[in-house]
Amino acid sequence: MLIDIQANATPEDSRTHVRFPFKLNEPACAIGIHFEYSPKRLDDDSRARELLEQSFEQYVLPERLALAKERTDRYLPLQNLITLSVDDPDGYRGACHRHDPVQSLWISEHDASPGLMKGKIAAGEWTITLSLHAIVTERCAYRLQVWAADEEERGERP
Amino acid sequence: MRWLACELHAHTLHSDGKMTLMELASAAAKLGFECVALTDHNTMSGLADKEAAERRTGIAILPGMEWTTFHGHMVTVGLAEYVDWREANTRNIHEGVSAVHARGGAAGLAHPFRIGSPACTGCYWEYEVDDWNDFDYIEAWSGTFAPIKTDNARAFSLWTDKLNEGYRLAATSGRDWHDAAETDEPISVTYLRLEDESRPIGEEAIEALRRGRVSVTIGPLVTLEAETAGARYGIGDVVPVGERAATVRIGIDFSVRQGLWTLDDPACRIRLSGNKGVWEESAIRETEGTQEFRMSVETEGLLWMRAELWGIVRGVTTMIAFTNAIYFD
Repeated sequence: MLIDIQANATPEDSRTHVRFPFKLNEPACAIGIHFEYSPKRLDDDSRARELLEQSFEQYVLPERLALAKERTDRYLPLQNLITLSVDDPDGYRGACHRHDPVQSLWISEHDASPGLMKGKIAAGEWTITLSLHAIVTERCAYRLQVWAADEEERGERP
Repeated sequence: MRWLACELHAHTLHSDGKMTLMELASAAAKLGFECVALTDHNTMSGLADKEAAERRTGIAILPGMEWTTFHGHMVTVGLAEYVDWREANTRNIHEGVSAVHARGGAAGLAHPFRIGSPACTGCYWEYEVDDWNDFDYIEAWSGTFAPIKTDNARAFSLWTDKLNEGYRLAATSGRDWHDAAETDEPISVTYLRLEDESRPIGEEAIEALRRGRVSVTIGPLVTLEAETAGARYGIGDVVPVGERAATVRIGIDFSVRQGLWTLDDPACRIRLSGNKGVWEESAIRETEGTQEFRMSVETEGLLWMRAELWGIVRGVTTMIAFTNAIYFD
């Protein structure tokens, strides 16, 4: 494993990036990435309404505030969102901006998961960036695993 | 010269969209578009299928990316090279815009008043803007049946305010299209005026966007021209100082995208407006072919003018279309 970390994020970590560099000592056929976080949803209904009320104050015109509050349900449930992007020694290799809280990703010379760019898996410093767009639960546990692989090992975590 | 029907904000499976690029381009063709900007969130990997999708569907695909940051979403189009969205903070967005421009792209504020985090992360524009001229456009109409939405009314007002302050930037629509499901709601089209058809469509489209040769509609295409003693000026052009009077010509082309939109009531009204308010409004009785209106305008104190088409759609009195501005020095 090139990276195998488990950590926790809290609401204070919202709107921050966390970077996980790793070194590939020699070129590889492919890199596998497994990333997951939990929980996805904020199940505490009153906390969710409280957070939404704060955001209405911030984003909605005063004359529309009452209507926005009436329609609070359309924004529920609130969800955590962490997205992942990849940099190789030469630059950006794409991002996987989607809501799935479990993502098994793959990047190789000939193939890549949607959002990532296929191409040579060069030796040097790589970085996985986790972008914590919103953490709405008190605690959100995440796990990131990264490994070098052969083409045929796709999808198999070591 | 011709007007190109564009969808300027769309997503695929490469971010959180539900379509492949091929499906997106096919769906766009069915809706009468000729051009789609691929603006996936924070990635350009979807461009790998660009040529194949263009060949198969005849749709021109503009490369792009939606900067999906913590403090605002910014649509960037016309550049094939990546610019790092992760460096953006509330104070330095102009650096990002400069980098987009250096790579040949155009940059616009996406849905600037959509509710922000945590309901829609980063959706509300919170970046400090020092110079509005640095941006190429504001996505004034987001989503379907855009003109009736409060968030869009705020974006449209923001655009009008900036024009009144003397800035020159375009206003567009963008569906923020994520899935292929059909909708009953009116769909907005951003028409871009291509001046030089011998150039590649993509390059001309970006040039048009940068220069504000733009007309937005959920129905007919509205065009605007000003003719002075010296010359003729189109949408996006600047009328020089010294031209004291102009004949303004508004065209409303009801033949575009036939069968793909409807008006409840043919009794529309066309308005000419600008920094001095609305100074001309006419009723339209015929809704076939191209209808033309002419009027004379004194240019004294005029910074900009645009045409707006108003009428009833789905039982609601609403703006149906607006042109971008003709400016006055």
